[in-house]
Amino acid sequence: MRHRISPGFLAMLPVMALIVLGFALPILLVFLYSLMPPRTFSLAGDPTLANYRAAVTEGYLLPLGWSLGLAGLTTLVCLVLAWPTAKALVRFAGRFATLATILIALPIFISESVRLFGTALFMMPGGGIFAGSLNALFGLKIGSILYTRTATLLGMVYIHFPFMLFPMVLGLSLVPQDQIEAARDLGARPFQVFREIELPLALPGITVGTLLTFVLSLGANAEAAILGGQAVIVITKAIEQRFGYAQDWPSGAALTVLVILVTAAVIFPVLRRVDLDRLIRR
Amino acid sequence: MAVAVNGPILSLVGLTRRFGEIAAVDDIDLEIEDGEFFTIVGPSGSGKSTLVRILAGLERVDSGAVLLRGRAITDVPANKRPTAMVFQSLALFNHKTVGENIEFAPKMRGVDPRARRARALELMDLVRLPEAYYARPVTRCSGGERQRVALARALASDPEILFFDEPLSAIDYRLRKMLEVELKDLHRETGKTFIYITHSLEEAMVMSDRIGIMRAGRLVQIGPPLEIYQEPRSRFVAEFMGEVNVLATGEAGVDGAGWLVVRPEQLRPLAPGEAADVVFEGRIVNDYLLGSRKQFHARANERMLIGEIAVGAGGVPGPGEPVRLGFDLKDAVRVSE
Repeated sequence: MRHRISPGFLAMLPVMALIVLGFALPILLVFLYSLMPPRTFSLAGDPTLANYRAAVTEGYLLPLGWSLGLAGLTTLVCLVLAWPTAKALVRFAGRFATLATILIALPIFISESVRLFGTALFMMPGGGIFAGSLNALFGLKIGSILYTRTATLLGMVYIHFPFMLFPMVLGLSLVPQDQIEAARDLGARPFQVFREIELPLALPGITVGTLLTFVLSLGANAEAAILGGQAVIVITKAIEQRFGYAQDWPSGAALTVLVILVTAAVIFPVLRRVDLDRLIRR
Repeated sequence: MAVAVNGPILSLVGLTRRFGEIAAVDDIDLEIEDGEFFTIVGPSGSGKSTLVRILAGLERVDSGAVLLRGRAITDVPANKRPTAMVFQSLALFNHKTVGENIEFAPKMRGVDPRARRARALELMDLVRLPEAYYARPVTRCSGGERQRVALARALASDPEILFFDEPLSAIDYRLRKMLEVELKDLHRETGKTFIYITHSLEEAMVMSDRIGIMRAGRLVQIGPPLEIYQEPRSRFVAEFMGEVNVLATGEAGVDGAGWLVVRPEQLRPLAPGEAADVVFEGRIVNDYLLGSRKQFHARANERMLIGEIAVGAGGVPGPGEPVRLGFDLKDAVRVSE
């Protein structure tokens, strides 16, 4: 009898191939390299944990801490800023919301580095766009936050805000207006409406936005490099430096695996509690 | 001025709400008595939903005032009004259980969990929901059960006035009839003021103490159900009541402008030689049995007439047969608009 292959399985094959070749295999390679002796370029060496030991003892915990801290702070700031924005966009759906959405989404189509260099130009002291204009127009002389941690955080928030906003808008649009009205009618104050109705019903969208922002922020290094100067060294910068300048692949691979493990430790417990299907099914 | 104890619970004074050019609610004055079952009936787009949303505090007004026992509450937000609404969509909190839905209002007021639960179970008993439903998600309740949850949830806030925005419109006929009767019983048991919105005059007739007929943002007639039925003041009200014959005065051979409203049971088939004030010669088009009554449609002078007789009370010729129909002017209601 002829063996029958289901069409679903056939349709899945191209994506499976892509995931195996483009994702699973490279990750496996990185993992194997992280177990090789330092400064070797082959997978034939004896497995060792020396690279992980070095990652802890040679001061790489600090950049990892910076990355986690910045990502956490960026996520928090984005959460606080995106909630009122998302509420306004959902509430005033129509021409205003479309325009606002375009204005927020458009910069995504411009290269991140270009945008960050633009921001740097804006922040530059003396002859920068902001400080220079103030000086020329009003004779005001101000300092600059360029090349500080604050500038880095601002850049991170600026770049990652849309990734928090749009899932949140999607989540909030799932909250039926009549349930909000019913809650108000039954005596709920605005904060109680938020806690009892909006937050639980919009949670899938908020969670997706939070995870996206956090994971992207954790992997970001351009903000720190362009706006932070030498004020902050993030872990991705350190990994880039291990693979490139230092030519120590096993060391870079070990740091990469550490970042992946930390990310997974944050994401999986959260994902388990969210019904992503609800967001997609609508 | 001391407000009389048994004065109106709710007064509407010159209430107006516009959406662009259209006045959804157009200069409405109305007084509703304490404990009354008042129903606002109108076709879709007549502004009845907007009116009740204004009363609940969910919609702002352009001008006019709403007074609760003589005190202006026009600008009081919904959460601070002693009223509760049963929404057309029911608007149940689908992420909560039956018990959590019913306990919502007491919870917002900070009532402790044990007292809340006791009250919820009491109300579930009142609206005939089995106690076992307490912990059930509302998404697993049937249509009729959801109605009861919505009702209990509104009652749990212990409102002075309950609003109903067509809550029964999406329910099948038999269940709707049952819930109408239950709602009327509930009104008597609780003694609260009920303000009910519907597009079905039949539904309004069953339950209400008074009915207000709404058209294009205005209340065109207010009165007890029987009065509205027997003495419609306009063609609109007469036709809205269901199947009636509206004849121009000229058609019936009556002097003056206006129309005559003739209800189906007032139009009778005439025996040979029998006289009536107004007589039509025509042909039966069709007949329908309505249980104990039989309705017939006849064509006379290029117009359709609807009549009704009790089954067994004389006969009506079969479809296609010629017929003489007549009514007396004392049975007809004359309207000028």
